[in-house]
Amino acid sequence: MNPNMVRMRIFLTGVGGQGTLTATTLLAKAALDAGFTVTAGEIHGMAQRGGVVESAVLLGGFLSPKVGFGEADLLLGFEPLETLRALPYLVQGGVVVSNTQAVPPLRVSLGQDTYPKQDVIEAKVGQWAARAVFVPCQDLGTRAGSAQSANMVLLGAAAGAGALPFGLDALEKAVSAYLKPALAGVNLAALRLGAEAAA
Amino acid sequence: MAFPLLEARAGETMLLLGNEAIVRGALEGGVAVVTCYPGTPSSEVPDAFFRMRGAGNYYFEYSVNEKVALEVAGGAALGGLPALATMKHVGVNVAADPLMTLCQVTVPGGLVLLSADDPGCHSSQNEQDNRYYARLAGMPCLEPATAQEAKDMATFALLLSHETAHPVMLRTTTRVNHLRGQVTLGEIPAKLRRRGSVKNPRQFVPLPAHARQHHPALLDRMEAIREKAESSPFNRVSGLGPVGVIATGISRAYARDVLLEDPGLAEKVSLFELGFTYPLPEAALLDFIKGRDTVVVLEELEPILENELRVLIQKNGLKTAVVGKGECLPRHGEYTTAIVRNALRQVLSLAPVSVRHATPTPDLPQRPPNMCAGCPHRASFLAVRQVFGDEAYYSSDIGCYTLGILPPYRAADFTLCMGSSISAGSGFALAADKPVVAFIGDSTFFHSGITGLVNAVFNGHNLLLVILDNHTTGMTGHQPNPGVDATIHGENATRVDIMTLVTACGVTQVKKVNPVNNKAAVAAITELAAASGVRVLIAEEPCPIHARRVKKSAKAVTAHVAGDPAGCRDVMETVACPAFYIENGRFAINESQCTGCMLCAQICREIKAKSKEAGK
Repeated sequence: MNPNMVRMRIFLTGVGGQGTLTATTLLAKAALDAGFTVTAGEIHGMAQRGGVVESAVLLGGFLSPKVGFGEADLLLGFEPLETLRALPYLVQGGVVVSNTQAVPPLRVSLGQDTYPKQDVIEAKVGQWAARAVFVPCQDLGTRAGSAQSANMVLLGAAAGAGALPFGLDALEKAVSAYLKPALAGVNLAALRLGAEAAA
Repeated sequence: MAFPLLEARAGETMLLLGNEAIVRGALEGGVAVVTCYPGTPSSEVPDAFFRMRGAGNYYFEYSVNEKVALEVAGGAALGGLPALATMKHVGVNVAADPLMTLCQVTVPGGLVLLSADDPGCHSSQNEQDNRYYARLAGMPCLEPATAQEAKDMATFALLLSHETAHPVMLRTTTRVNHLRGQVTLGEIPAKLRRRGSVKNPRQFVPLPAHARQHHPALLDRMEAIREKAESSPFNRVSGLGPVGVIATGISRAYARDVLLEDPGLAEKVSLFELGFTYPLPEAALLDFIKGRDTVVVLEELEPILENELRVLIQKNGLKTAVVGKGECLPRHGEYTTAIVRNALRQVLSLAPVSVRHATPTPDLPQRPPNMCAGCPHRASFLAVRQVFGDEAYYSSDIGCYTLGILPPYRAADFTLCMGSSISAGSGFALAADKPVVAFIGDSTFFHSGITGLVNAVFNGHNLLLVILDNHTTGMTGHQPNPGVDATIHGENATRVDIMTLVTACGVTQVKKVNPVNNKAAVAAITELAAASGVRVLIAEEPCPIHARRVKKSAKAVTAHVAGDPAGCRDVMETVACPAFYIENGRFAINESQCTGCMLCAQICREIKAKSKEAGK
């Protein structure tokens, strides 16, 4: 797509430790290198201790480093509960690409609270989004060589689903250019497995 | 490139975090001395200078607190070197005393204060508006809205301060510190820009007789700097519409995006973006305001610009109406594109737009911040609770351990600010019907706890202080403090020993334990609880994240349920470690999360250690 014709807000959400912010920065750098103007934003601090991590990538001339309710064209959910929690950020008719594999909150782990069922999450997302793609990111990450590469599986899925204004090649270039060389192989495999799963 | 921020060439474009852009900007501005006390959202600035220390041509230090940081940087600037001091907004409260005087006595080398404010209280105890400090001290203020401006303004602030010998504030907000945007780089000067150190007591010693001369001179300097603001490229006007919008800080980004998306709205307004925000460029603003019926002022938090514009309008006999804080533009929290859009629509007599969005799903499980698995603070809180339960008031402080407020510990009944646990605890004990136990971390103790402890001894207060010494500054990203044994640059050869310090403060009842040894911790607390006066327990155990990252050390064991999971109900409730989970109704421990502290095994005999190797 012509970078001068695209204006897009992407909202990313996940749980501390999932590599959401690494993915956010990589996505932003890939977009910049593909010719788009980029503003991204994230909130650090207390949220990182097992808390929710929300970030945003805005393409095409936006200057605000955040996304409000009903503004995101694309929601990237690195964790299914967080996909559901962030759904109000999505514009009606927007696109959702989400992991299916849960990181249970502590109270859920301890049996004191209930995690929403996957089919409930998918139904609620389906009612609001024009299109939703769900991918088992940890499983595909493990197949790529490390469950830690689940974040790259999700980015690959977004590209494979055609939800990004650039192709998988732009992400592949960014992985090679900006991630540690020792991790490039696993992350490239993760991108491709994600893209295949979503295509 | 090992350090792209240092090594990338002029003309290159990089995607930078706002805080990284400030670092590059300071380097381009020829900064020679950088000091700080870390604090979100400012911390990535000093952390980058720390990582690159040795590679760049500057001196860097983590100071023990913000007052010290500003005094060291101020002293360097008095001596002729360009200096930068960084801190979060509440840190400026700590540094306020030297700040006032530095603006009076002048700083020949140039001094920039980075004040990182936090509208919305993302990681702070308040959302105070530090633009007031620029007014209170009498210092110019620059407020970036993009990464490019963060870099350019950091450079400009250093050059302006060097040229005028007057301190300059670079004021950011969380969104600016933590945005990422493209930045085209400038040149880092090869040669240090410095002035020679001179003796000039009439200028640098604020005796009352001198201070009386300093004040009018300060006012004159600020008037001269106002002239620079009048023609600054950081202040610019766009649009041709009749309604004036005057915006500062990140509000400018929201305004620009609203106008980008709604050309119909855009043609009805003109936008004055104010980046060099103080002293106010009055002539440029009057030019913009004259002939307009209405101007809208967009600024987060306090109506500072709004009130200054009202004064300007009144002094010049204009009739322009000012729309500022009110129903549409709140005085608290952050602005958004939605807030700005509807404020503009209201002024234009258009109906407000309510953005359609999916209804938030009620009652979803929350993810509150929690102490990490293996956190030694958990062990300390457990032991204190085992001795005192609810029969004590808990005076807490600022750090990871403020999370002791959470159940099951409930070990925070009041907190004011950095270092307050000891002194506020001393005062609370005068009123309280139960003992007071205060908690303070090692970095916070060095920051401003020591003075409170000296005071408690001197005035005979009645307080049990637990110093949670985890050898790092955990909350803000593991920065070193005077008590650490090692940093990423190696051993700390000048370690300040807390036990020696506490004893030197005059405390006679002091004990040190590893809190993860539950029996020893409970025994020590029990003994101290039976006494009165100032008592100190040093609970020493390194933060496991710090130990893993810096010392590359980790425990060789993990905990597992060797006995009956049904017997683990109590430990689940009392220790509440995030590595615990229930699967098919049975208690279990996530071995990949467990750090092997083995606290739980001391509380519950169904849990045993197993070696990581054997577990494979």
